[in-house]
Amino acid sequence: MASSESYRMQSKLSDIELIQQTLAGNQAAYADLVKRHQRFVFTLAMRFSKVREDAEEIAQDCFIKAYRSLSSFQGQSKFSTWLYSIVYTTAMTFLRKKRVDTDSIDDENTYVQIENQVSAYDVNNAENRSRSFYLDQAIAQLLPDDAAIITLFYKGEQSLEEIAKTMNMETNTVKVKLFRARQRLREKLEKNLKHETKDLI
Amino acid sequence: MNSIEEILWKYIDGNCSPEEQKIVSTLIAEDESYRLKYLELVVLSNDLSEMELDEPSMAFTYNVMEGIRAEHALVPLKARVNKRIIMGIALFFSITLFTLLLFVLLTIKLPAHILPANSSLNFKIPDINSGKEKMVVQGFIFFDVVLGLYLLDGFLRRKADSGRA
Repeated sequence: MASSESYRMQSKLSDIELIQQTLAGNQAAYADLVKRHQRFVFTLAMRFSKVREDAEEIAQDCFIKAYRSLSSFQGQSKFSTWLYSIVYTTAMTFLRKKRVDTDSIDDENTYVQIENQVSAYDVNNAENRSRSFYLDQAIAQLLPDDAAIITLFYKGEQSLEEIAKTMNMETNTVKVKLFRARQRLREKLEKNLKHETKDLI
Repeated sequence: MNSIEEILWKYIDGNCSPEEQKIVSTLIAEDESYRLKYLELVVLSNDLSEMELDEPSMAFTYNVMEGIRAEHALVPLKARVNKRIIMGIALFFSITLFTLLLFVLLTIKLPAHILPANSSLNFKIPDINSGKEKMVVQGFIFFDVVLGLYLLDGFLRRKADSGRA
């Protein structure tokens, strides 16, 4: 009873307050911070690795790294912006390490395989699939940078300036990238739906 | 085509200036192509905002905290002990030893008859000029010099390594 009460109290605390408690030696406060951000960090990691197991490894690694350098977080930006920049660099390093062949990670061909994997995942009928299914499918087919920008913008409560900070880019570059990413997403959606209607006929 | 999309996205994201906003909203109201494109993009934008986040496994938080605990356990004791405590202990002992030494030196009074008057002059330096003994002493000094150089080499190497790291 008492512990659930204290948990409820802690979950009301702001990120900064939880960080202060963590730095004072309260590890439970950090566990709360992890719980608060884990879904988004995991989703962002999924945008890069496209595989659940790898995404989980990246996300765990990020939270451990963040804990290690928590004292260097100055509070000049939002904690989430700081955390996501760790996710971005960790995920990029992961991709670079994983890339055994000389193909660039920006090479669209690298993701052709995933495209087939997703369409081979035809368990339910096309009619039963929701819009979110098609959206997830299309996002999974995007390049990591495109998928990450869209996720940060729509689900991460990050402004263009904050995304620029996270990805270590100019705000204008992020603006252009977001525009192109949404364009490519629409192309993928259209292409996938065309495939589906062909299958139905 | 692209410019229409670009303007509409700017409008949807709320990055337009008030004047631009007015222009775009009249365009949407009057121009059919703008209106259709606008509706299409708004639907996509809403879908993206309502997109569900992925959920990591149930043990995720536990695994992170275990990782942190494991990392903490790996830190050698040397790094975990506060340096100030060590310095405090060192300071305490050096002050105690110094005071004790000072106290002894100030209170000690050697009676004059303990020391024989000419004792310091009566010491005889051992004769090492005879062949065998000379060799032993030279060998001993040679061994010391080699040992000294070896230790110095080890010390410099360690210093260079830590400098590189």
